[in-house]
Amino acid sequence: MAELQLPDAKIDEKIDRLLELVPAPEVSADLHRRLSGSLAASLQAVNPLPSAGVLVVQFGSIFLLFAAALIAILGVAGFRMLHTWQALGILVLLAVGVSLLSLALAWQIRPGSLQKIPAALSWASFGVGFLSGAALLFPWRGAKAFVSQGWPCLLTGSAVAIPGGILFWLIARRGVPLSAGTFGGTLGAIAGLLGLTVLQFRCIHQDAVHIMVWHGGVLAVSIAAGVLVARMIERTLRSNRL
Amino acid sequence: MGYPVCLANDVTNGSGTGTRFEAVAPAAVRPNEDRLRDLMVRYQQGDAAAVEALVANLSPALLRFCWGPGMSHHDAEDLLQDCWLRIHRARHTYLPSEPLLPWIFAVARHTRLDAYRRRRRLGSREVLVAAGPEPPSAAPAPDSEVMDLVNRLPDGQREVIVMLKVVGMSLEEVARATSSTAGAIKQKAHRAYAALRQMLAAGHSG
Repeated sequence: MAELQLPDAKIDEKIDRLLELVPAPEVSADLHRRLSGSLAASLQAVNPLPSAGVLVVQFGSIFLLFAAALIAILGVAGFRMLHTWQALGILVLLAVGVSLLSLALAWQIRPGSLQKIPAALSWASFGVGFLSGAALLFPWRGAKAFVSQGWPCLLTGSAVAIPGGILFWLIARRGVPLSAGTFGGTLGAIAGLLGLTVLQFRCIHQDAVHIMVWHGGVLAVSIAAGVLVARMIERTLRSNRL
Repeated sequence: MGYPVCLANDVTNGSGTGTRFEAVAPAAVRPNEDRLRDLMVRYQQGDAAAVEALVANLSPALLRFCWGPGMSHHDAEDLLQDCWLRIHRARHTYLPSEPLLPWIFAVARHTRLDAYRRRRRLGSREVLVAAGPEPPSAAPAPDSEVMDLVNRLPDGQREVIVMLKVVGMSLEEVARATSSTAGAIKQKAHRAYAALRQMLAAGHSG
């Protein structure tokens, strides 16, 4: 009973000491031999995945190349309508988004990475940043034909995001993502950003509400689709293994 | 061989909170990080002797980590084999400039979670046809008293305590292994200690 009156710190020290004395479970010589043998049997030299910095540059370069090719095909009619400060503002937002999401993707595919910003927070912070930027940079006009003008943008952006997502997956699949949902969401976010970028250059309806709802919607739909598809694939693979 | 850990002095970090849960294992006990990294690099280069040395150095700590509540020694060994297979498949994702233990335990943690989900799914599909004899492996293996208490903690707290206090990893290493932050790990450790204190108090009063 005397121990119950000890301050918490003293009890914690006792717990520490008990944990220090926890014996290591024994790994039998037979198991050790089997483990080493099975690993050595399929042992080959491997090329380590590049560092997070190199991966970010790779993802960023692919993003730029793919976005440039699509913009060349789909046109820059919308971007031509922007004032210089609007164009600069939106380019800065997109550049920050590409860097943030590339970094999140690089952390996702390497186990044991120190994720200074959790993946979901990077999606959310870019989403909030984009919405705030659009609200501040673009005029709030009356929403004439809001749905009929917006719907094609959502479709075009999503249609761009699908091959974008596949392309990023092709690069990222060398890694080993430990959470399918988070990996899928991050892949969806960067693919959605690609769709959003193409829309910012192409779309002539450069007003705040249209951009926030329909262009921002591409990002939201892509993230949700990425999470769902990744979880479905993971579930299918698991049930096949059973 | 055990994993005695010694607490770092109650130093105060920049944010003003004590590093009470910053556990550091003595160099003689915790496998030397530089040596482990060197072995891992040789493993990536295809050196069979390095594989054997890594398995010998890391398996006891991994087995302790895998050995969850209600598991038999046999189940834990199966999980350990699964961990090593996944480590083998993922070995190219290790970067030699990064600490090794968080990478190893991140893969091991994922293997544990997968095994847990698999057991749950299999359990939900199983239909009881007749009461048969209990398989011998279903009986949980006896463990030290303090580990019995640790095994009663929620899984997230249990794994943090095992990595911090039994394996001797630092807060940042545990944060890396669990894709979390050092602050969140510290909070989990505090909660785990509060729960352990309660269990001890309940044990004494009972």
